[in-house]
Amino acid sequence: MNKEVAIIGVGWSGFHPSTPEVSYKELMYAAAVRAYADAGVDPRRDIESFVTVAEDFIEGTSIFDEYVPDQLGAALKSVHTITGDGLHGLATAYMLIRTGVFDVVAVEGHSKASNIQTLDSIVGHAQDPVLNRPLRLNTHFVAGLEMQRYLHDSGSSLEQCAAVVVKNRHNALKNPLASYSANLTAEDVMQGPPLAWPLGRLETATPVDGSVVIVLASGRKAAELSDNPVWIAGMGWCNGSASLESREWSTLPYVEKAAQMAYRQAGIGDPWDEVDFAEIDDTYAYKELQSLEALGICAFGEAGELLMQGAFDPYGEFPVNASGGSLGVGHLLDATGLHRALEAVLQLRGEAGAHQIEDVHTGLVQSWRGVPTTSAAVAIFDNQEG
Amino acid sequence: MTLLERDREAPSAWKGSLPVTSRYTYGLAGERFFRALKDEGKILASYCPKCDHTYVPAVNFCERCLSELTEWQDAGLVGVLHTYTLLFVDFEGQPLDEPELIGFISFGDGGIIHKLDANPDELEIGMPMKAVLKPQKERSGSILDIRCFQPVNK
Ligand SMILES: [Zn+2]
Repeated sequence: MNKEVAIIGVGWSGFHPSTPEVSYKELMYAAAVRAYADAGVDPRRDIESFVTVAEDFIEGTSIFDEYVPDQLGAALKSVHTITGDGLHGLATAYMLIRTGVFDVVAVEGHSKASNIQTLDSIVGHAQDPVLNRPLRLNTHFVAGLEMQRYLHDSGSSLEQCAAVVVKNRHNALKNPLASYSANLTAEDVMQGPPLAWPLGRLETATPVDGSVVIVLASGRKAAELSDNPVWIAGMGWCNGSASLESREWSTLPYVEKAAQMAYRQAGIGDPWDEVDFAEIDDTYAYKELQSLEALGICAFGEAGELLMQGAFDPYGEFPVNASGGSLGVGHLLDATGLHRALEAVLQLRGEAGAHQIEDVHTGLVQSWRGVPTTSAAVAIFDNQEG
Repeated sequence: MTLLERDREAPSAWKGSLPVTSRYTYGLAGERFFRALKDEGKILASYCPKCDHTYVPAVNFCERCLSELTEWQDAGLVGVLHTYTLLFVDFEGQPLDEPELIGFISFGDGGIIHKLDANPDELEIGMPMKAVLKPQKERSGSILDIRCFQPVNK
């Protein structure tokens, strides 16, 4: 088993639909201080390098990476910002440690979604400017097209997609970090307002504000600093063809490749048997089913049926999004992958509280950058107790 | 959805915007594709013999093998409805008065995203759909030179 890099500290601030009292710097600061205390490190003395994930248009500031060092204790240190999901940031921090140059690295992601007045337009400007953007379509149309073709090819049903929402928002009732916990029925979800039919508004995650900071250490340093390290057993990432004109519409080959890369490193042959739980993409309800199949947790077209049998419930054979996922907790924009990593770390330390899953040793985390992207990352975490 | 409300005592915020205006160069292949659409009313494809893959809209390199593509073909104006959606919000996220029907029409191994002129109930994945072009003198060399796609038997 891979014991090169461990997570030795996690911290968060938020998660709330709106955080008008604090600036994004104060959100980051609060998460960082908590993570450093959790890791038992002094950031100015012990942390050698910092990675953050952010997107200039989301922040409303050009060259946003200039604004990240101060509130993390990263001034006059090695620091850089990448445009990717939080898991891409985690992969970068993981690689920094694997170079042997750094022993302790922190990674940060945040969402100040409540400050963004034109989120749909920002996402709209991610569409191809020549082929797609002239049509002036809300980018949710990409999810509507994908869901329609996925249902057609996989045989999954509208009821099964609605059941993902029911499960995740119900799971969120036990998670104090969750903003969108609710007891719903599949009828409530299916009778909700349409967004990009067959996709409904209630099947779409709502943004929240928050920040997540994770501290990583080399095996040597983790042994010295931590008595509950969570090991990064594997990390993979992959992009498909971004072009709407040449992508696959019912399968997620880039999720499949990212997972294979992570499984190979972690020595996982059959994730259903060898992984105990997963926190995965549910930005749109159908994505949870489609992603489970791409991750090889089950075969194409099987996820919906397994869901209805309760296999993915917190007490089922393979708990998925026991935290409530993005549908239940809220979507943290670029920090979403780090939110899932945080949940997996808490589970593997036995610190998940009311939604703790019993007897877990290996967790899977997967993330997608949202419409219109074909960008995914997968991480395997292990507490080495198994 | 949530009981958390805005804090009225919260400090205020500065409001600002980020104006961005760009030229988006069509490129050599895009220029040829859109010129054919404008002048001849044709949708062009390019073919990779090595991968046996037909790109629509035409491109001048193969993303699979990175070969330069030199075999250009007329893809015709009739494609196949690969998937579709009924969109209820506009570009900015505001509710639309009338929902918009959007489809991906496959041509060769690629295809075109566009608006559909159809009754949603008559649509079926796999049915043939034809491009409705603007009259030649209204065309400007853009994807909007295609007005929409319609079922062939309409
Ligand atoms: Zn080729």
